[in-house]
Amino acid sequence: MRYEEWNKISRIASRKSLWMLHFCTGCGAVELPPVMTSRYDMERFGMGPMATPRQADVLLITGYLTVKTLKRVVNVYEQMQSPKYVISFGSCPINGGMYWDSYNTVKRLDRYLPVDVYVGGCMPRPEGVMNAFLELMKLIDEGKARGWEKYQKYYEQYKRNQKMAFGFERGKNEGD
Amino acid sequence: MKAIEIIGKGEEMHGRAYIPSGREEAGTIIKKLKENGFAHFVMLSCVDWIDKNEFELVYHMWSYEHKEHAMISVRLPRDNPSMFSMHELFPQIETYEREIHEMYGIDFEGNSRLTPFLLEGWHDTPPMRKDFDSKKFAEDVFDSIPEIKEEEDEGI
Amino acid sequence: MKEYELFIGPQHPGVTGNMMYHLWVDGDTVTKAECNVGYLHRGFEKLMESRNWMQNVPLVCRICVPEPDVNEMAYAMAVEQLMDWEIPERAKYIRVVILELARIAAYLMSIGSYAGSLGIYTLPQWALGDRDYFLDIFEQLTGARVYHIYIWPGGVRWDMPEKLPGLIEKTLSYTEKRLKLYDDVLFKNRIFFDRAVGIGKIPKGKAIEWGVTGPNLRACGYGYDIRKLEPYAVYDDMDFEVIKYPELGDFDVLSDGCDAYTRMIVRRLEIEQSISIVRQALEKMPEGEHIIKHPNWLKWKVPPGYAFKRVESSKGEYGYFVVSDGSNKPVRIHVRGPSYTHGVNVAETILKGANMADVSQILFSLDVCPPDIER
Ligand code: SF4
Repeated sequence: MRYEEWNKISRIASRKSLWMLHFCTGCGAVELPPVMTSRYDMERFGMGPMATPRQADVLLITGYLTVKTLKRVVNVYEQMQSPKYVISFGSCPINGGMYWDSYNTVKRLDRYLPVDVYVGGCMPRPEGVMNAFLELMKLIDEGKARGWEKYQKYYEQYKRNQKMAFGFERGKNEGD
Repeated sequence: MKAIEIIGKGEEMHGRAYIPSGREEAGTIIKKLKENGFAHFVMLSCVDWIDKNEFELVYHMWSYEHKEHAMISVRLPRDNPSMFSMHELFPQIETYEREIHEMYGIDFEGNSRLTPFLLEGWHDTPPMRKDFDSKKFAEDVFDSIPEIKEEEDEGI
Repeated sequence: MKEYELFIGPQHPGVTGNMMYHLWVDGDTVTKAECNVGYLHRGFEKLMESRNWMQNVPLVCRICVPEPDVNEMAYAMAVEQLMDWEIPERAKYIRVVILELARIAAYLMSIGSYAGSLGIYTLPQWALGDRDYFLDIFEQLTGARVYHIYIWPGGVRWDMPEKLPGLIEKTLSYTEKRLKLYDDVLFKNRIFFDRAVGIGKIPKGKAIEWGVTGPNLRACGYGYDIRKLEPYAVYDDMDFEVIKYPELGDFDVLSDGCDAYTRMIVRRLEIEQSISIVRQALEKMPEGEHIIKHPNWLKWKVPPGYAFKRVESSKGEYGYFVVSDGSNKPVRIHVRGPSYTHGVNVAETILKGANMADVSQILFSLDVCPPDIER
């Protein structure tokens, strides 16, 4: 079997069983329990929560990210195995949202991590969240959800940006 | 008002006792109130009065017995502010002092746990001080981070 | 035996949100615990100083995610006190209705996640599904599911729709029916007795000194509730008894209070109490205006002074300390969240000596909510 064909089959398989990582980074996390439980029930799509990053496929950034959390998120993201996908919730990771002038939240997530799907709204409704999951599945099917490849390719740039946000480059707290 | 009776000074403010106090006597006042029924320590807040060049520490106490709230206010100079720690009276004051130390740069003598609480690796002006400009900081730090430059052809 | 260091969180289903506990364990007994927060710190209090009084309303509700309305209420009350406003009667009743509905929703969430921490996975499915019906009510009343921005200084944003009381009543009687099922699954379940009785004890004599409030304090046998101590809105008009240990209704008193078991039973009983308060408020609600006439938002100045207002939330005491210097922006707003004491000092102390397997149930039974620790 040729590589391309095999890729296609693996994409079909991975789209049908996406495990999302249980990491609540911001206020959007409160709309996840309804999505996971009986009323909206995302298990119909073959999605389930997973506690460890090593077995998860989808990382959900549920809302604003503080600098302190971004460090952990990057850590967690790098532990996940490829192929891996990032969904970002709400307006905070898009442009800062209502914390646009805060000293402790990073404003634009795509400068630090590759994002595959954005869900708008403050906070997004469960229907929006599920739509994002379906959208992600469609992208995987078409082979367009390639954020993780982008992360590998532009690794240096991502690392540089992350370090700038953590303040290493500000020259004041080396040895952190 | 009971708290004013116990301490012998202060004024009533919207049904709550407001007791101004000096830096040294605050400990005695709080101890006295604690012994006289004000058993619940609500919170410790700090206000930055930059025009008057001082910080105001406000100790909030509540008495379940007298159903009364007392605010003990201590004013400190803005340069090199320091205060006595009161975590022996109420253990949760330790956390409030940690936060105020981080957010305003006030030193609390006797508190051995003044480690970073909410922020990590912060080396700028303490953020809650009025002379720290949050908007400017956000623009300087986060807006200066460049976008990821992608190459034209998506050859991945 | 050798001592190990363990970190639970921030990415861990066993902690109550985005926070971390650093544990030192000997075998499987915790010998020392340290709370590490700040993962959700957005600098609210700083941001509020640079926005005007009205722009702060959408900000304050984001301080506590599961139960945002108490924040709006405390902020609105503090501003009303500084302005010396008397708000319309009808608005007060509507406020009570929404606050109590939010309390039920928050309790359902906390009971659900607590059961999840014991490994009883049926209840999270049920409780969170049922909570959603309350979110539907909020959506009809306020337009949003989670952040309502409904209680404004001066009243409430919209009047209550005519048909809403019918829907509320339907949801409440449905919840009452469901509570019976919850009892079978969790509250009268042997697993719960065996796991929770005597776990996570707060020393009774220390509870007040440590700043324990809310259901956690009532589980220690002190019948203190801010709705009774300092009645706000129209709580003095409502007929309800404070629930406290050892008056646990038809639940058995299995321990001498202060433990995870009693705390959860108190929460369970307070759902019924809130249901009855909502019914009373709907019944007694008068006709009339729902909001007073407002000044121009952009030029609105608040007279100088200090205001402190407290409300009872599902987690404990919420306090807002608002300082104004007479301009159109506040000088300082300081929020006292109930988890500030529960999550840091109390949890650090009572986790000492606990079994590793009980850590997460202790945290859930204290109902620690990190956003109100760090704001
Ligand atoms: S977009 Fe809104 S709901 Fe989401 S994290 Fe930001 S403030 Fe919270």
